[in-house]
Amino acid sequence: MAEPAYTVTSDSETNGEEKSSSAFPETAIGIDIGTSQCSIAVWNGSQVELLKNTRNQKIMRSYVTFKDETPSGGVSNQLSHEHEIFSGAAIFNMKRLIGRVDTDPVVHASKSLPFLVQTLDIGVRPFIAALVNNVWRSTTPEEVLAIFLVELRAMAEVRLKRPIRNVVLTLPVSFSRFQLTRIERCCAMAGLHVLRLMPEPTAVALLYAQQQQQTVHENMGSGSEQIALIFNMGAGYCDVAVTATAGGVSQIKSLSGSAIGGEDILQNMMRHLLPNSESLFLKHGISEIKSMALLRVAAQDAIHKLSSQPSVQVDVDLGNGSKICKVVDREEFEEVNQKVFEKCESLIIQCMQDAKVEAEDLSDVILVGGCSYIPKIRNLVMGICKTQDISMGMNPLEAAVCGAALEGAVASGISDPFGNLDLLTIQATPMSIGIQADGKTFVPIIQRNTTIPARKELVFTTVHDNQTEALIVVYEGDEKKLEENNLLGYFKIGIPPAPKGIPEINVCMDIDASNVLRVLAGVIMPGTPHPVTPLMEVRMPTIDDGHGWCAEALHRAYGSTRDLVTVQKKI
Amino acid sequence: MDMSLSSSLLNSKPFFSRPLANNSRRPPAFISITSCKATSMGSEKETTNFYKVLSLSPHNACDEEIKRAYRTMALRYHPDVCHPSMKEESTRKFVQLHAAYKTLSDPVAREEYDFQLGLNSSGRKSKMSFGDEGGMRNRWQDQIFELKRKSNRRKAQKDGSWGSRMRSQNRQKN
Repeated sequence: MAEPAYTVTSDSETNGEEKSSSAFPETAIGIDIGTSQCSIAVWNGSQVELLKNTRNQKIMRSYVTFKDETPSGGVSNQLSHEHEIFSGAAIFNMKRLIGRVDTDPVVHASKSLPFLVQTLDIGVRPFIAALVNNVWRSTTPEEVLAIFLVELRAMAEVRLKRPIRNVVLTLPVSFSRFQLTRIERCCAMAGLHVLRLMPEPTAVALLYAQQQQQTVHENMGSGSEQIALIFNMGAGYCDVAVTATAGGVSQIKSLSGSAIGGEDILQNMMRHLLPNSESLFLKHGISEIKSMALLRVAAQDAIHKLSSQPSVQVDVDLGNGSKICKVVDREEFEEVNQKVFEKCESLIIQCMQDAKVEAEDLSDVILVGGCSYIPKIRNLVMGICKTQDISMGMNPLEAAVCGAALEGAVASGISDPFGNLDLLTIQATPMSIGIQADGKTFVPIIQRNTTIPARKELVFTTVHDNQTEALIVVYEGDEKKLEENNLLGYFKIGIPPAPKGIPEINVCMDIDASNVLRVLAGVIMPGTPHPVTPLMEVRMPTIDDGHGWCAEALHRAYGSTRDLVTVQKKI
Repeated sequence: MDMSLSSSLLNSKPFFSRPLANNSRRPPAFISITSCKATSMGSEKETTNFYKVLSLSPHNACDEEIKRAYRTMALRYHPDVCHPSMKEESTRKFVQLHAAYKTLSDPVAREEYDFQLGLNSSGRKSKMSFGDEGGMRNRWQDQIFELKRKSNRRKAQKDGSWGSRMRSQNRQKN
């Protein structure tokens, strides 16, 4: 075989184009890096198989301990006790920290974790550190995740007896494009090439499509369409999807998600057990960390027990004289977490509205993720979906990773003689993407829940006479206020002098099947059919850290001198 | 502001819908839903007949058939299931496929689309039989229809599209 030609990937391109040189496609493995747990699966030629570590675990804890000189993660590390994760030496909940700035409420909520999370509230990356021999040693969420991925990769290579390069990762719906680039960067650091980043519920949708097809034994693409609602809630995030499935094809109709999950429930429980816990733990002294670990384990245990029994007795000695001796019943638990449950409800309702489906249209309701064991969660989902029958045909903790492994096989071009891989998830983009125009307004060009690949364009024009430049500032999100959306990047485009409102600035957004976003812009003057200057093509996101600042800086530097307004659509 | 509104009426034909000559990597672009409306009188439509895209007969394709055709074709043309070397081509095909599916699976959009198709074919017919009484009547009916359609559209635009109304409703709710 000839040596493959080496190509330089674009600077903004941590996720390169798919390689097509290999005659025998390597089956990409599926990885579900959860906030608290992680698993890895692969299509073994006839079915999806979860890979086990040396301790025979399919589900591993997501954390990295910096105890010794070489850090070790939850894949290989043998814990003597659960408390060890909470000793300050281990970093966990990476998925809640990655790609977030220190003004983010999710980062602030992480400040009461045993390891150190420092914020300056100025919109930069938070400082995180692990306690090693009584020293806070700094690291980054990316580094921690990359160390963890290296372990996963090594484990998979041993199990499969082949080098691993291509992966499909499942991620929360609410991840911004900036966060996705951070994940790609982690994978690159671990020597992995990302074939696809899938929103978690869409991976479940693919598994659902396969199960549906296997039970019905239909022909390709035929069979009547079934609408399913997928609710996925883990430790860090809650995601909802509505999908229309038939004949192995799952069309995602809508997605919604939020950074709310078991971690919030746990923190609420800890606060309930020890009202001043947060302020106490912010000190991060050795004894506080120890108490925190004890409280955390006790609260976690109580939550698990409350899923099967109506009340639980919490008895824990936190050291330094404080003891907790309390009976917590399910009602209390549901009350302290009311906001979490309300948010879950609103995500489901929004997702159904976006998909334009009513509860009666749903053929299946699928509940997955660690929080699906909580009775209140089950009840609220059943209530909104008006069903008593929640599909438990899949393992709630393994569904996402199995879907990722299926996608890995499909996207690697593997075919199955029995048609078990005649599958497809047609993805939709969970957030609108648009630019700043009409004053400081967010004007979406690609609406949320648009099927991808997609290409949409809008026409804008100048606001000043002889305006020779326009600033195209690209945002992602669905917030009313421009600055509450995620800034993806910006660039200038030159315009020939003309009265205001005359030049036409076409802005086009293009998302391909691997979810790569390109923004194109061109200027047309009336009477000329072709763009007057070369078009601009920008791969987004272009911004690096400190993105909170850029928009403000741009506004300070340019005011409204380079603004645009939308052109009303022609009849 | 006013200037920008009036200028828009002159010519706002989307140009990204056409192949970009300066970039050979780009797929020859498709006609998106919005641009399709803007260019509906153009000649490109001949090549992107939505029924042809889905290999369906315009007269008797039912909803179920449209969905089935879309799924079957998606399994063949979606970039995820095609060889990476075909990425550009398959992306273009799939986007066209989805545009066809989206229009034809929506009863209102389909009716409008059917009408546009019907208009074209009857237009051709009347040209052939020019002078014939039936042709004249057809043409007259077409014109009335077209006028009605335009005024309906204008009315619809006054209070925005269905989508924009829903969005503003949602915004109020939030």
